[in-house]
Amino acid sequence: MASADSENRPGTQEAIPQAVKIIVAGGFGAGKTTMVASVSEITPLSTEEVMTEASQGVDDLGGVENKTTTTVALDFGRITINDDIVLYLFGTPGQDRFWFMWDELVEGALGAVVLADTRRLDTCFHAVDFFERRGVPFVVAVNRFEGAAVYETEEVREALDVSAGVPVVMADARERESSKEVLVALVTHIIDSRRPAMSG
Amino acid sequence: MSAEGRHARRLTDRGTDSSTDGNEPRPDDGREDAEYERFLRPYAVDVGTAEAVPPTTAGTTGPADLDLLALVMAARTPGRHEWLRPERETILNHALRARTVAELAAEVGLPVGQVRVMVAEMVADGSLQRCGPSRPLGRQDILHAVLVGLRSL
Ligand SMILES: Nc1nc2c(ncn2[C@@H]2O[C@H](COP(=O)(O)OP(=O)(O)OP(=O)(O)O)[C@@H](O)[C@H]2O)c(=O)[nH]1
Ligand SMILES: [Mg+2]
Repeated sequence: MASADSENRPGTQEAIPQAVKIIVAGGFGAGKTTMVASVSEITPLSTEEVMTEASQGVDDLGGVENKTTTTVALDFGRITINDDIVLYLFGTPGQDRFWFMWDELVEGALGAVVLADTRRLDTCFHAVDFFERRGVPFVVAVNRFEGAAVYETEEVREALDVSAGVPVVMADARERESSKEVLVALVTHIIDSRRPAMSG
Repeated sequence: MSAEGRHARRLTDRGTDSSTDGNEPRPDDGREDAEYERFLRPYAVDVGTAEAVPPTTAGTTGPADLDLLALVMAARTPGRHEWLRPERETILNHALRARTVAELAAEVGLPVGQVRVMVAEMVADGSLQRCGPSRPLGRQDILHAVLVGLRSL
């Protein structure tokens, strides 16, 4: 046990938890920040990333000139799982032009949640494509907004063309319990899809 | 929309990759352009990122080695070194326990890229030390623990 005054001294040998992450992706305004906030134990933190010169060169293809830097806000929340593990939830930047950040964001991630906004399902195609291509396990969480057409999960699955193995669940990102269920569905899916087939 | 839709879209996007340099104006078709951009970026930027990464001397920590979840901890209390460098003082005060680079960036309110450079310098001058988990776990153990933890939230 550490002595009484050691707690506030730097370098104190206190157990250091492993940091792991899950990505919350989806189109602009799909509810990413809301979902991160609803399950996070802290008010979501925000950091900024500045676009580099190299990235800017690519961005110029879009015709944006005379810009040297652009900042992108990254939201993230935290869930202490136990003494050994802290889970971070990172929301992807909503704007399409910040795709280049996804590479770093998904590096080492356990998996991802794709929030599908029923008012504009097409806005999450890119996230689905990205995770499929990278082999990042994901679930689709269908966020039902007021006034939006009501879809069955199977209709959404068909519209998004995700394989039968990918869970598609209904969600309300504003509800902690619902967001928690989505994360449980994701982790269950990751565990199941990693388990080697035993029967056969 | 049919299942074919997304794949068709994907193929079209790939097609435009070689047929346009992106400078051609495309009136009335902002969406098409946006889609094109989204598909281009993940590939094109890989290269840029790699080039932007400064070479690191073996055995030392450079900014490029510090990902968002890299853990660092204060190796000393703030002192004269932090005179007129409030961000560093903030970092040291916040890193009494192991902290991720992302958390430190949020805490000092500076872009992650800048904080990475700062943290790398502080590791180099001995103010901060990089640390790993006390009990590193395998991926399966992590997943099962995360599942239990989430369920009991
Ligand atoms: N009805 C309903 N509204 C929601 C839900 N999730 C989010 N909202 C609302 O939708 C709006 C946008 O939510 P955000 O969480 O900011 O969306 P975002 O994906 O982070 O947006 P960007 O970061 O700008 O792309 C907010 O006003 C939320 O209150 C949901 O599940 N149901
Ligand atoms: Mg947001």
